[in-house]
Amino acid sequence: MTATTATTATPAPTATGLPRRSPSADVRVRIRVKRLVLYTVLVSVTGLFLGPFGWLVLSGLKTQGELAASPVHWLPEVFQWHNFADAFTQIDFLGYARNSLIIALLYATLVTVSSAWVGYGFARLDAPGKKTLFGILLASMMLPQMVTLLPTYLIFAKLGMVDTYWPWVLWGLSAAPYLVFLFRQFFAGLPRELEEAAIVDGAGYAQIFWRIFLPQSWPVLSASFIIAFTWTWGDYIAPQLLLSTDRTTLAVAVMTTYVNEGGTPVPELQAAASVMYVVPILLIFLVAQRGFVAGMSTSGLK
Amino acid sequence: MTVDQISSVADRPGAAADTGRAPAAGGPRISMTTRRHRAFYMFTSPWIIGFLLLTITPMVYALWLSFTTFDGISPHWKYVGLGNYRELLNDPVTWDALGRAGLFAVTSVPLSIAAGLALAVLVNRPLKARGLFRTLLYLPAVVPPVGAGLAFKLLFDPNSGATNGVITFFGFDAIGWLADPYARYVLLMTVLWAAGNVMIISLAGLQDVPRELHEAARIDGASAWRTFRSITVPLLSPVLLFQTVTGMIASVQTIMPLLLAPLGDTSGITTVPQSNYLYMMHVFAQYFALGRYGYASALLWVLFVLILIATGLIFKFTSGVVFYNVDPEAKK
Repeated sequence: MTATTATTATPAPTATGLPRRSPSADVRVRIRVKRLVLYTVLVSVTGLFLGPFGWLVLSGLKTQGELAASPVHWLPEVFQWHNFADAFTQIDFLGYARNSLIIALLYATLVTVSSAWVGYGFARLDAPGKKTLFGILLASMMLPQMVTLLPTYLIFAKLGMVDTYWPWVLWGLSAAPYLVFLFRQFFAGLPRELEEAAIVDGAGYAQIFWRIFLPQSWPVLSASFIIAFTWTWGDYIAPQLLLSTDRTTLAVAVMTTYVNEGGTPVPELQAAASVMYVVPILLIFLVAQRGFVAGMSTSGLK
Repeated sequence: MTVDQISSVADRPGAAADTGRAPAAGGPRISMTTRRHRAFYMFTSPWIIGFLLLTITPMVYALWLSFTTFDGISPHWKYVGLGNYRELLNDPVTWDALGRAGLFAVTSVPLSIAAGLALAVLVNRPLKARGLFRTLLYLPAVVPPVGAGLAFKLLFDPNSGATNGVITFFGFDAIGWLADPYARYVLLMTVLWAAGNVMIISLAGLQDVPRELHEAARIDGASAWRTFRSITVPLLSPVLLFQTVTGMIASVQTIMPLLLAPLGDTSGITTVPQSNYLYMMHVFAQYFALGRYGYASALLWVLFVLILIATGLIFKFTSGVVFYNVDPEAKK
């Protein structure tokens, strides 16, 4: 970047006033102070952002008494590691986790394949009405889901699909606009030669999609799967509406079932349980983000 | 992100492949074009059918319900025309809830965007461990709502929460954060915790801002703030517009007040403090606590129309301001 300025300012490279070589001590001190301020701000802000989650973990390690006490106990007297084990036995944690996993895997798999399928149609094929349909697809991303979810609940109740996983199957099969858009962008960028040879050979479009396009799209497939999985794992309201207490997901269970027989909440177990509920999602993100963030960062950096 | 820009890319492969009709001998009977048209509908049909059945049908059903007194149980429901809408307009609770939702939208959305943008600018500098800072700042946005709600409930617990711990340490009185009138601030902070979402999308946009522009501005002696206002913000404006619209739609639908409320009965709606009783909470109360499906459907349709109007207004008032030069597809 300094090179570009230097070439435009032809006679003297230092004419721009940028400190290029051996800046004065005064400037160096100022740069150092500036950097110190920058890192102080950055570290404090990051600490502030991690604080709530740290507090959640700490709360999961306290006794019930410590969680009710005033003034605050900053740290637990003794770290109550057994809270994490107790959170498993207080409710059927694994059962709910299995429900969450089934629904999330079911939905993420179906919606990824269906969105890729629809995305291929929008990217590589055409027909009268395509522009309108694509406009509707984009606009439907802005539809408030709550407005459709509540009447959907009534319809599913009528069809006897409440307390089954059918709603997630149907949602999965019908593709998600955001993911369709993601796939469409990817497929539209692939070279035309990819399908031309296959068409000449008389292959059908479905064959071209499964054999040629899908195997090319691993990065998008995995991104779509992770996004859809995270949505479903994190969703509270749909399982709360559609599933009974036994068949519901971990999100609902963590939120509502950590109470004693008397109905009093057990906050330390709830905190421990929610840490175990959140951590898998954080891990998935940490593993997957390398490609995610790198993909976005490469565009403008050298 | 206009439709035309996007679909012009899509037309490319199709338009070029349009040249050849199928050869007369030995080829398929129907023309290539017809084949492609059929294939298009074969490929898009899952979404089309799903959209009709799972989006349009529920909305039309809700519209029909909104003209009735249907409650799911009583067989004696009847058609009341605009009765529900008339009741809704005369219900002060509805207006209060709508006002709170509007206030929440116009505070939480700009604050989230400002915070996200500030974070983006901060971590877009050449830093040591920049990737680590980005990851850590984005991490809260990945935490599911249930986890976020519980974390903030514990953090702002009036007795044992860290916030009151700090406040009393400095000699001030403890604050009843989770009750009226403070609960709204906790709600706001919980939502702001996910500002990393805006950060990550703005970062992608920031990296498309040509370096030469910043260089030129610096040589001309522009201050950092001036550069930010005159270069960064205009070039990011499509991203910011997108964030405003989606943020607004998300904010009126938030169920966070429910997750921040004390654990009460199963619906939880009765324990939501007044100041967090947003429009969606009102809908929930009518739907589930009272089973007034007809009235709640009217509430939903009013919300839907209001969102449409708000979106239209946002687009209208920003049409001259938003600057489309950055590749619109840069926002991931």
